[in-house]
Amino acid sequence: MPLQHSSARTWQRTVLLAGVVVLLVSLVVAIILASVLTRGKQEISPKMLKWKDRGTTRNLQEVILGRCYSYVTARHPELGDKDCLKIWESLKHAFIYKNPCNITTEDYQPLMELASHPIPCNKSLFWSKTNDLVHRYTKSNHNFLTLEDTLLGYMADRVSWCGDPAVPGINYESCPKRSECESNPSSVFWKMASKMFAEAACGVVQVMLNGSIEAGAFRSSSIFGSIEISNLNPDKVSAVQIWLMHDIGGPQSESCSGHSIKRLKGILEERNFKITCEDNYRPVQLLQCVNNPDHADCRLCSSNTETP
Amino acid sequence: MNSLFLSLLLVSLLFMKSFSEGQGKKWKGEGTTQNLESIVIGRCYEYTIIVNPSVGEKNCSALWEAFKNAFIKKDPCNILPTDYELFINLSLHTIPPNKSLFWENNQLLVSRFADKTRRYMSLADTLFGFFGDLLNWCGQANSTGLDYDSCPTTEECENNAVESFWRMASMTYAQHSSGVIHVLLNGSAEGGAYPVKGFFADFEIPNLQKDKISEVVIWVVDDLEGPDRDSCGIHTVEILENRLKNLGHNVTCTDNYKSVIFLLCVDHPDHSKCAFSSSIFSVDGSQLSDGPLTDTGTIWSVVVSLLRTFICSEKTPYALCDVH
Repeated sequence: MPLQHSSARTWQRTVLLAGVVVLLVSLVVAIILASVLTRGKQEISPKMLKWKDRGTTRNLQEVILGRCYSYVTARHPELGDKDCLKIWESLKHAFIYKNPCNITTEDYQPLMELASHPIPCNKSLFWSKTNDLVHRYTKSNHNFLTLEDTLLGYMADRVSWCGDPAVPGINYESCPKRSECESNPSSVFWKMASKMFAEAACGVVQVMLNGSIEAGAFRSSSIFGSIEISNLNPDKVSAVQIWLMHDIGGPQSESCSGHSIKRLKGILEERNFKITCEDNYRPVQLLQCVNNPDHADCRLCSSNTETP
Repeated sequence: MNSLFLSLLLVSLLFMKSFSEGQGKKWKGEGTTQNLESIVIGRCYEYTIIVNPSVGEKNCSALWEAFKNAFIKKDPCNILPTDYELFINLSLHTIPPNKSLFWENNQLLVSRFADKTRRYMSLADTLFGFFGDLLNWCGQANSTGLDYDSCPTTEECENNAVESFWRMASMTYAQHSSGVIHVLLNGSAEGGAYPVKGFFADFEIPNLQKDKISEVVIWVVDDLEGPDRDSCGIHTVEILENRLKNLGHNVTCTDNYKSVIFLLCVDHPDHSKCAFSSSIFSVDGSQLSDGPLTDTGTIWSVVVSLLRTFICSEKTPYALCDVH
């Protein structure tokens, strides 16, 4: 009888113990779950701002660094003193953790100073609405440099970036379009870089315009019209040569005697620049003919070329 | 006594000579490109994100590691193409049919003509080719570091890091080419347009997949200044045509393909071979009217160009055509 009594008590104790253990375990699990969930919630909010344009380019740092080293090492060894890491850091600090509608020229000042370099005279080539053609030209002909052939432009071409006050400070999902806010990282960058590119120009400068677009070859609202022209220095720049290109087989909406060109000439003459204009500057037209070898506008006189 | 002194002098001179030679560069070629790692990793992302996003995401750090492990800590004269196998496997992607462009003796021209995959995809326009294009590298036997001082040339030893890389890349490029393939040769090159010993001959042709290739189009283009050393159907080009035909390929050949001539003309617009023969255009600096056709300037231009069209056929000596 005493044995039965003690075994019942042992059984009770075991049950009690088991109950306490289960309670403790569930308490611990509850605490862990609670902390994980709340941490997760903290990460989700505050949310990043949402915009209409594409977000920061993935692996921006690696792309920018690679381009910087490529430009300095392989293409322009005379710029050997450029510190690419510092340049990247100054670009990052221009926009990281900042509201992307609040970017100022001061934000980019350190980057501009680190990455700018002198441009030889008579080599500056401006452009408007001829992006593709002008860069195919400068890839072949190193006598001319567009903004995108300088270190700053080379690094920034075709990539995008913007920040956000929320962690991690860079918005890879979206970035503001100019229509959403003017002081966005991209617009401020290109405006500043264009201004500096124009200020650095000397000697005879060139501009490639598109004579096949309906809106007119020269527009005051373009970066060329609104920023670059007004920042050309009359003490350094002697003349402006306009190359007015038509698409092969495209409309000849405007030529050197057209309205917008007359307006452009007026603006430049007022600032004492000499102006010349050439329709379909030969070397560039030859480049256009690479894609249209059999077009009537591309017939060569030479008798030893053949159509395959 | 004298002879002892003289022999001592000789010995010390010989010792000094060998000592100073040892202080010079180890190899005859340029050393590894500075900042190689940053440049190639940047290029990997540049290619996969911007140049050709259709290849999808690649692990660029893994690519760098595989590339590096092919040649570091090894005798720089003992690197084999197969050492790059992992690198190639990680960087391989589809080459669109009809876009392959092989070449010899015209690297810069091909780069411009291919236009970063928009017209064609040459080896340097693939991810694995883009990775190493125009760069230099080599390792050292007893260290994990790259040799920035000097690297062996192919004359010094064939199995060097860069040579083996391009051999492997060329073989891979040929194996994955399909459809109509093109080869651009330099008709002015010394020794002939088709080098019978070269990358195209030794590593690319043997790896062309007969069942994937419908046609081989050969373009033989001379430098504008010439000389016209080689052309379709003669000398080395004939050797190439026969070799390809014997391998069972359909072969066509064209001399001085117009598109490429135009590209050469961009830098020499005033060359006689670059003169245009027709169309309404203005002389330097003058203005074309863009008013209605009643303008006399326009009517005159039309008349002149019509005349030119009749006078300037393909057989007309260029002197009669307008060189403007």
